[in-house]
Amino acid sequence: VKALIAAASMMLVGTTPVWAALGKTVSSVADDQKRLGGEVHTSTVAGFAVHEISAADGTVVREYVSPAGEVFGVSWRGATPPNLVDLLGDHYAAFKEAPRPPGHRRGPLVVRTDHLVVEMGGHMRDFHGRAYLPDRLPATVSSDAVR
Amino acid sequence: MNARIALAALLAALLLTPACGGGAGPTAVSAPVVNNVQPVHVDLGPAGDYVNGIFTSVTICVPGTSSCQTIDNVLVDSGSVGLRLLSSLVTLPLAPSTDAGGNVIANCASFADNTYAWGPMAKASVRMAGEQAASVPIQLIGAPGVPEAPSDCSSGGTADDTVAALGATGVLGIGVFRQDCGDACARLLRPPKIYYACGASDCAVTSVPVASQLQNPVWLFAQDNNGFLLSLPAVPETGARSVAGSLVFGIGTESNNALGSAQVYTTDDVGNISTTVNGTTISGYLDSGTNSLSFLDASSIALPACPDPDSDFSCPPSTARLTAVNKGSNGVSGPVTFDVANAETLFDTGNAAFNDLGGPDTGDFDWGLPFFFARKTFVGIEGQSSPGGQGPYWAY
Repeated sequence: VKALIAAASMMLVGTTPVWAALGKTVSSVADDQKRLGGEVHTSTVAGFAVHEISAADGTVVREYVSPAGEVFGVSWRGATPPNLVDLLGDHYAAFKEAPRPPGHRRGPLVVRTDHLVVEMGGHMRDFHGRAYLPDRLPATVSSDAVR
Repeated sequence: MNARIALAALLAALLLTPACGGGAGPTAVSAPVVNNVQPVHVDLGPAGDYVNGIFTSVTICVPGTSSCQTIDNVLVDSGSVGLRLLSSLVTLPLAPSTDAGGNVIANCASFADNTYAWGPMAKASVRMAGEQAASVPIQLIGAPGVPEAPSDCSSGGTADDTVAALGATGVLGIGVFRQDCGDACARLLRPPKIYYACGASDCAVTSVPVASQLQNPVWLFAQDNNGFLLSLPAVPETGARSVAGSLVFGIGTESNNALGSAQVYTTDDVGNISTTVNGTTISGYLDSGTNSLSFLDASSIALPACPDPDSDFSCPPSTARLTAVNKGSNGVSGPVTFDVANAETLFDTGNAAFNDLGGPDTGDFDWGLPFFFARKTFVGIEGQSSPGGQGPYWAY
């Protein structure tokens, strides 16, 4: 299964817009800002930086950047979910390939693999979620930092 | 042969004759002005695989005519607003809504599980029980004639455009708000990505006046329009194959929908209350369209997730009893005690209705359908007056 996911990820590299955030460099934040039409506020906490993009439509997206300049986590809250294809970038394929329960369920969604965690939920007018790369977290940073 | 046919015909006639009378019927004292009781049922649904899905029948008509159609097995969802029906099941000729420039107006509903409903708006009158809303903007999911969903709508997710994908024939969104979006989607500058104006080949985000947005049909009823109550019976801890309940329209408008001892919890402007569980206070909401009680995760509370592919549900080794405290924006607070059983054990029963199905949600407390069993839950619609005050609120 892992090999399949890796292969799918590699295929996606060629087709994904270069400004996708998760796993990309800090320079992708500016692209996301432009796309979301929002303002960026940057704050530095012990061990990482947070770029908070307040989009014109009210959505807030946060991007968590390691000292090495890599986006290791993203979170969002707003009236609609963000475009996950854009926000998860090269990691979208792993999200899509993750096993889903059979039958019908409607509610929050949790995907946990060794290399990607995505949690999303909420309801009409208030959606939220976060995604991070567990093996790319800076050494001193816990996954709880991605909020 | 002939005699046998005649006998069969007689038998059929007897069987088809409605069981009339059956006693004196309701007394004059308790008789509502109109029938405000709409039956609902919890079962595996039209796709045969829905756990904790709650369904009802909705009649739609071409506005101003008696040309009507009843669609069964529409999901009852207090977590969204607007009537959305699979267009493949709608046989009425309902014209898509257009803007001044002739573009078709389409709506995108995102659900929390990365699925979406996409399709044009249209107007229909909506009937449930004896209630009617004259001309209601609804969504025709997956209707032909509009371009496919823009990527900002689909977000790479799955289209809920068939009975197999949706697990229902549509969604009856009857949450605490009048519209799905409200003022935000009416503003001209950067509205949320919910309404789109569609030409022949593509669609662009657009603003839509509040009155033309998807509406909660209940607030447009001629009476009993300030909210409703959802009443479901208790179910055993191992669940039930099917359960019958009722939606009763209006709050304090008839003898059968009084608030009684229910406590009113008003919501904030996006429809949340606050919920404290395990020492953590998070946003909470009541959502009949979610299968489980979803809250926190295994790292913060001792409820392990089930093995894949059921990891959206909790699988504790034995049933856990927990208490959470809900608090409304009005300051009213009160505890709710609930159980979380092993989801895989529950699923193995083949049952459909469970009051003890739990799952993780690290962001908020999603009081899904298990909450609604063995109680009456009132939904007070925003801006509407009732004995419980003005909505938006929940009461139970």
